[in-house]
Amino acid sequence: MDKWIKSTVLIVLLIILSSCQDMIEVEKESFVIAIGMDVTDQEGIYEFTFQIANPNIASPMTADPNGAPDEILTVLGADIMTAKDKADAIVTKRISLDHTAIFVISEELARSGDLLRVIQPGTRTSHMRHDIQIIVSKEKAETFLNNNNPIFEQKPYKYFQYKITQTKETGIIPYADLHRLLQITEGDADLFLAIYATTIHDEEEIEKSEDQYLAGELLQKGGDKTQFMGSAVFKNGKMIDLLTAQETRIANLLDRTVPLNNILVTYTDPIKPEFYISGNYIQTKNPDIKIDYDAKANHATIDVTVLFEFEILAIPSLISYAENNEHKEILEKHLVETNTQLAKKFIEKTQEEYRSDPFYWSLYIRKYFKDVPSYEKADWHNNIYPNAEVNIKYELKRLQFGKTMSDTNLSEVRD
Amino acid sequence: MLRKKQTKNNHNQISSNLVENIDKIKNDFSYQINNDFSFRMLTAKFNQKDICLCYYASLVNSDKIEQSIIKPLLEQDGESIANIVTVESVKVLTDCDEINQNVTSGKVILFMEDHSQAYSIDVSQFEHREVSQSENESVVRGPKEAFTESIHVNISLIRKRIRNQHLVSEVLHVGKRSKQDVQLLYIENIANDQLLENIRSRINAITADSVQNVELLEQYIEERPLSIFPTILYTERPDNACTYINRGHVVLLMESSAACLIVPINFWAFFHNIEDRYSRVMFSNFARAIRFLALFLTTMVSALYVALANFHTEMIPLDLLLAIASARDRVPFPLLLEVLLMEVAFELIREAGIRIPNPLGPTIGIVGALILGQAAVEANIISPIIVIISALSGLTSFVISDPSFNFTVRITRFIFIFAASLFGIYSLIICFVMWLMYAISLKSFGVPYFAPLAPSYQSNKNIYFRKPLRNEKWRPKYLLPKDMKMLKK
Repeated sequence: MDKWIKSTVLIVLLIILSSCQDMIEVEKESFVIAIGMDVTDQEGIYEFTFQIANPNIASPMTADPNGAPDEILTVLGADIMTAKDKADAIVTKRISLDHTAIFVISEELARSGDLLRVIQPGTRTSHMRHDIQIIVSKEKAETFLNNNNPIFEQKPYKYFQYKITQTKETGIIPYADLHRLLQITEGDADLFLAIYATTIHDEEEIEKSEDQYLAGELLQKGGDKTQFMGSAVFKNGKMIDLLTAQETRIANLLDRTVPLNNILVTYTDPIKPEFYISGNYIQTKNPDIKIDYDAKANHATIDVTVLFEFEILAIPSLISYAENNEHKEILEKHLVETNTQLAKKFIEKTQEEYRSDPFYWSLYIRKYFKDVPSYEKADWHNNIYPNAEVNIKYELKRLQFGKTMSDTNLSEVRD
Repeated sequence: MLRKKQTKNNHNQISSNLVENIDKIKNDFSYQINNDFSFRMLTAKFNQKDICLCYYASLVNSDKIEQSIIKPLLEQDGESIANIVTVESVKVLTDCDEINQNVTSGKVILFMEDHSQAYSIDVSQFEHREVSQSENESVVRGPKEAFTESIHVNISLIRKRIRNQHLVSEVLHVGKRSKQDVQLLYIENIANDQLLENIRSRINAITADSVQNVELLEQYIEERPLSIFPTILYTERPDNACTYINRGHVVLLMESSAACLIVPINFWAFFHNIEDRYSRVMFSNFARAIRFLALFLTTMVSALYVALANFHTEMIPLDLLLAIASARDRVPFPLLLEVLLMEVAFELIREAGIRIPNPLGPTIGIVGALILGQAAVEANIISPIIVIISALSGLTSFVISDPSFNFTVRITRFIFIFAASLFGIYSLIICFVMWLMYAISLKSFGVPYFAPLAPSYQSNKNIYFRKPLRNEKWRPKYLLPKDMKMLKK
């Protein structure tokens, strides 16, 4: 009996003393969807913009047609957590970062190299997701969040979700979550690519060939103001450059850690170069990456083989690639060459300019080192990758011509 | 023990004096106060001696007395009582205690002048209901008849299904004042002897004045009366009882119970349903999968909701979370209270539904559920999602058909809700593990509660899902049957 009394008292005490530690009622929290971060004139102090969802828009029963879908609030602070505390003083409910899906970082802050300092609490707190998407905005993050007023999507959190998945599928933005940023930066090798976006557009469109654009460079009339295109390159947590949509796509396709998608691409027509050929670039298998490492010379040879398929959707030049075997061979050769060339050019750029790779290739050389210090000594960033010999080979596995073989004969139509 | 019994016998010996015997029995049965205790004196034709018949008029078939006892005694010649009385069962008695017991179980006692023996003649006619359809364990496919409140009918329902001379029905008595028969049914060359001995000793150990029926018997012989888990299966279906008898279980029957008890039993028996055997194997396994889902939902869904909404909001999709938050905004109570309010309301409706007179029952149920839920939402007492949660956990609890186990599940649900309200999933899982540990520690007549899963025993592996009947080769090893093989080749 004594044993029973003791254990009962202990359990009751445990319950009373711990007092439902973490408990909070849902309606007493406000959920932040996106956090914007900007620099200020003061060093160590940053500007944080919180976009908070209005719960009333979620259910049709309680939705107020005139109610705003969100509340945007800007405060100053040294890091996310202190800024959150300040915002708590303003917002009626306790701010929760559990559902934050987006970090918007102004290009200025990203280039200043202070980013890691600012988002550092993200690694410590359990109240922040690691799949937060990182967006670098051309303008101030505050402006970006305020300007971003989607027309169709009433719910701001849905907007980001749809927008990012949709653009990712076309391959023009990278996979950029917080976890990857921390992983790559702490691995001290490779480059991290963040999504590049803006709400401010250039006045005039610069004539560029397909896919060579960055966010803000596309001329648009009407529609949402926000453009997602290209990526910001981070080396050691500091932004060093921008990649165009095309370069981002190459980086995605050569990276085995990124999921594969079908991507719509355009190439010049090999027979009539004034026309373009567009179609689906399909890569069903991850590229084959083989690294041979010579420890004495600290030199690596990287062999990359990419198997791809191409499904033609449009041949505006009306050349019969499908029926004429000669033409077909020319096209096949052209596709392989174009891809190889583009990739080669991009790899050269990363070797010379960035002295590191955005493909996460350092993963495949680690096995040659017996411990971390020796790997760090060999220095992927500065020694191995910039001097490595990269052989890239594209192989066309299959060429498809869509539903029809031949196109309408224009000269006959004109009769 | 033996000597004691003998001395008792000597003390209660029937005397050869008829008047003395009659005085004694009149005294024992409070004659004249006790209205339906009857006497009939007559003189037998065959030896011209006085004979006295005594019986309870309410328990016997009076036509049978007249036709088969009185008439032959008055008219027929013969050598002994047994040759004259035409009733099928005549027993010779020498002990007074036996006489009392025979009278109370509807027999006529015949005393004869100068005879130190009495005769017990079976003419009993207990009133009982006809065999009717099973109401609590209804099946779509399979026999519909259920036990009724007569032990003879019930045994005949079982014998009808098991045509086997080794099927034994053994009688034990319970109750110190009102002696009732308990019949143990088992197949002699299958059921384990130690198990039978265990059951007998538990029944003999009952010191209660009277044990009316199997529902009460269950509570006297079970291991842990305070446990939330039942350890004896209660069924009203003779076909179900027969399935268990064939496996080596023992069935307990009593007069005036329209059901039987099956021992020993494990957790899976409460989870399985007799229809699982009648449906084809894929269909019954589908039904079992659904039942598992229902078991999970009914015990966990409310608790999970409390845990997620109060502690782990990051696990709820933002869309749903905001919908919950905006609905909760207008509700004055904490979420836990809201859930409890609705769960208790559901239990109230359910309990009331059983007690309400039949024609009103279903109506009240519907009115209760619909009006109460709808009105409570409109009055901002609860948020709409709670109605869904409690309806889901309430509805799925009906899938657990066994009434005892149903209570287990419903009590468990409340335990889990409270556990979840302490530290969320963390405490919920701790509570679940403790619940499971407790359940696994249980035994039913020496058989582990989760056998044959844990500990593992040779069996047909009829645990989560069942095999085709043709592949059922073994009797369950945990019963230690005398014959393990079910299929003879």
